[in-house]
Amino acid sequence: MSLNDWIRRTRIPEPAPVAREVAVFEPADLYDVDTRDDPEAAPILCCTGDGAGAAAFNALWLKRIAASGRYAAAVSVRGQGGTPAAPGGIEARAHDVVQAVTGIPRQAVLVGHGLGAGWAALAAARYPAAALVMVAPGKLPKQLPKPVGGPPVLLVVSEDDAQSKGVQAIAETFGVAPLTFAGDANDVFKGTNAEGLLDAILSWLDRKD
Amino acid sequence: MQEYSSQAAYDRGEAVCVIGAGAAGLIAVKNLRENGFEVDCYERDTVLGGLWNPQNQHSPLYPNTHLVTSRSQTEIPDYPMPDHWPDYPSAAQMLEYLNGYAKHFGLSEHIWYGSEISGIDPVEGSRFEVVVKPAAGNSARRLRYAAVIIATGHHWTPNLPSYPGQDLYRGTILHSSQLKDGSRLRGKHVLVIGGGNSGTDIACEAAVNAAGCVHSVRRGYWHLPKYLDGEPADYALARLSKRPKLFRKYLTKRLLKGSRNLSTRMGMDKPDHDHTDEEPVRNGRYLEHVGDGSIDRRGEVAKFEGNEVIFADGTEFRPDIVVLATGYKPGIKCCPPELLGVEGESSQPKLLARMFSPRTETLAVAGLVEPGVGALPIVHWQTHAISHWLQVRKEDPERAAAFKHQVVSESAQYEVNSTGISPRHQLAVDVEEYLASLGRIIDTLEQEPAK
Ligand SMILES: Cc1cc2nc3c(=O)[nH]c(=O)nc-3n(C[C@H](O)[C@H](O)[C@H](O)COP(=O)(O)OP(=O)(O)OC[C@H]3O[C@@H](n4cnc5c(N)ncnc54)[C@H](O)[C@@H]3O)c2cc1C
Ligand SMILES: NC(=O)c1ccc[n+]([C@@H]2O[C@H](COP(=O)([O-])OP(=O)(O)OC[C@H]3O[C@@H](n4cnc5c(N)ncnc54)[C@H](OP(=O)(O)O)[C@@H]3O)[C@@H](O)[C@H]2O)c1
Repeated sequence: MSLNDWIRRTRIPEPAPVAREVAVFEPADLYDVDTRDDPEAAPILCCTGDGAGAAAFNALWLKRIAASGRYAAAVSVRGQGGTPAAPGGIEARAHDVVQAVTGIPRQAVLVGHGLGAGWAALAAARYPAAALVMVAPGKLPKQLPKPVGGPPVLLVVSEDDAQSKGVQAIAETFGVAPLTFAGDANDVFKGTNAEGLLDAILSWLDRKD
Repeated sequence: MQEYSSQAAYDRGEAVCVIGAGAAGLIAVKNLRENGFEVDCYERDTVLGGLWNPQNQHSPLYPNTHLVTSRSQTEIPDYPMPDHWPDYPSAAQMLEYLNGYAKHFGLSEHIWYGSEISGIDPVEGSRFEVVVKPAAGNSARRLRYAAVIIATGHHWTPNLPSYPGQDLYRGTILHSSQLKDGSRLRGKHVLVIGGGNSGTDIACEAAVNAAGCVHSVRRGYWHLPKYLDGEPADYALARLSKRPKLFRKYLTKRLLKGSRNLSTRMGMDKPDHDHTDEEPVRNGRYLEHVGDGSIDRRGEVAKFEGNEVIFADGTEFRPDIVVLATGYKPGIKCCPPELLGVEGESSQPKLLARMFSPRTETLAVAGLVEPGVGALPIVHWQTHAISHWLQVRKEDPERAAAFKHQVVSESAQYEVNSTGISPRHQLAVDVEEYLASLGRIIDTLEQEPAK
């Protein structure tokens, strides 16, 4: 975030506060699986454009992230899941993500799926994420501000989308080559494809840490 | 870290030393680490948070301290406070916030507590030798660093006036920072001296708890309520900055008119300065307490006579307790004054852009300004600039040269020119100008140089 962005933001009204739903899964919450709790590894906060919000990550993601040794969380932004609707567009949703991530005890990775990728990217321009991961991004704002603190960025898209103009543009903005996964872009929450996708993200993060 | 002997300094290589673990020190550590520096932060006390931590031995917090700047104007730009917190969080929330910040960014492991820095000496290669004052029974430790950032705050040494006859006074005289417990005022006749934020807040505390409260103020200030036009006052005023200059002036005047008129009605002197020249007094209750007579305003104190206090206008008052809310003396004891640009008669540092040593490239001070708005964001951008500077200096001599030029020319713009008579106002900056200046400095540091 540049100083000027900050000045601009502090001089317009703050989005109305909402009571946000945040789902959390910690490695210690897993009794049945053999986990390697790694207090050094950055926690992960997920969001998605899917109307279910945080609940979308319950089927597979949160548990599997926790099993990999990381604190796992997901947030429902305004109007999603258990979070009440409130006025505000993409900026207000980015605000919800920032508020959720600063509520996590340690500096965290932001993972955004679909439209959530845009919120996560905007949030990463206000909060120094440990890493920014965009999964099958939906329509992103044209001008994406630079992430603060220079986090590593990962772009993950379905094989079918890899060549699309939108994906190319995002890849160029962040100067990264997209990682591809097999299957449908909306099929990321459960199933074998989803497992493979998530494991690829986790091993990328392990390399970065 | 290893053991150190008293003779040889332990060389910490490219690491940077931060002195103080108050808000400014914490923000410095975070931003330096984000830019890839190894950091050692030394804190003389056993806790972090500086003046916001009541456990800090010399904390100046008094009963019921709340922020005078609103949440959105006070929070650190890249780590906002919870949005369900009130507009004006309490001192306890401020501490919770700073603790959260330190924990979130893993800062504690870089802080050495109980380690007062007693001196810093420049050594060859623009490096510094830092002396850690020995704890009882140990010898002093010396360590070498590539750079030093001083973040020791400026609210630690009380400014204590003395009055003729004061020695014979039998009641209690204490500084605002020593008050701590509001119950000390209960049922007493209280005299509060000093019309800054501390004096005004304490007078209000006395207005509801004490048997009587006289408030001695030696000149006129800007009194702002905490809300203007339905919004936190600092936000309402800052918002206007988008407007063209003249229109802005008009709107500002209109916004401030109500409280100005009320101050006049309460018999206060017209301020001799503009509302951005010095930190305004922000307290919505004060004028009402003056209005209902629970605060009796007087001018300057002339002398003590036995247990009576005689004011310059000849009136008298017999207080049980006198609270000197007369502010603080800024001062950086651990650093040779010439490195801070202290020259001649004045004890006032003259730093480039209010943060860089004019003598050496690797010494900077964070937080030595009174911006009249939230201090933390200013410190964030200062330390953002300092960290980038240290990086650029190492890696890109060309950009470093452009930067030096810039900083020197920026510094000329906010030479100390406060009209106030109090030395503290020499730390005041016009926040709009200062932020614009910081913006230009950061741009220069981040721009790719023209090839
Ligand atoms: C009563 C009061 C209310 C305030 N209210 C507001 C407000 O509402 N909003 C706002 O924005 N600002 C407010 N301020 C301004 C305040 O200065 C800043 O908010 C901020 O806390 C400053 O932080 P700092 O780190 O610069 O200084 P400090 O908090 O003073 O921290 C300095 C630290 O350095 C340590 N230290 C000092 N010397 C040495 C040494 N030689 N070696 C090692 N360690 C050392 C000290 O122990 C301390 O921990 C207020 C100030 C006061 C006094
Ligand atoms: N709640 C809060 O957030 C809060 C509360 C308190 C303080 N603060 C901040 O903390 C800092 C210190 O505030 P402060 O109020 O303690 O100190 P201050 O702002 O320096 O005010 C000191 C007051 O004492 C007066 N004074 C000084 N020397 C005097 C003398 N010899 N005789 C008579 N009067 C004398 C000053 O008058 P002159 O102006 O004429 O010198 C001034 O009115 C400020 O930045 C302030 O904004 C914030």
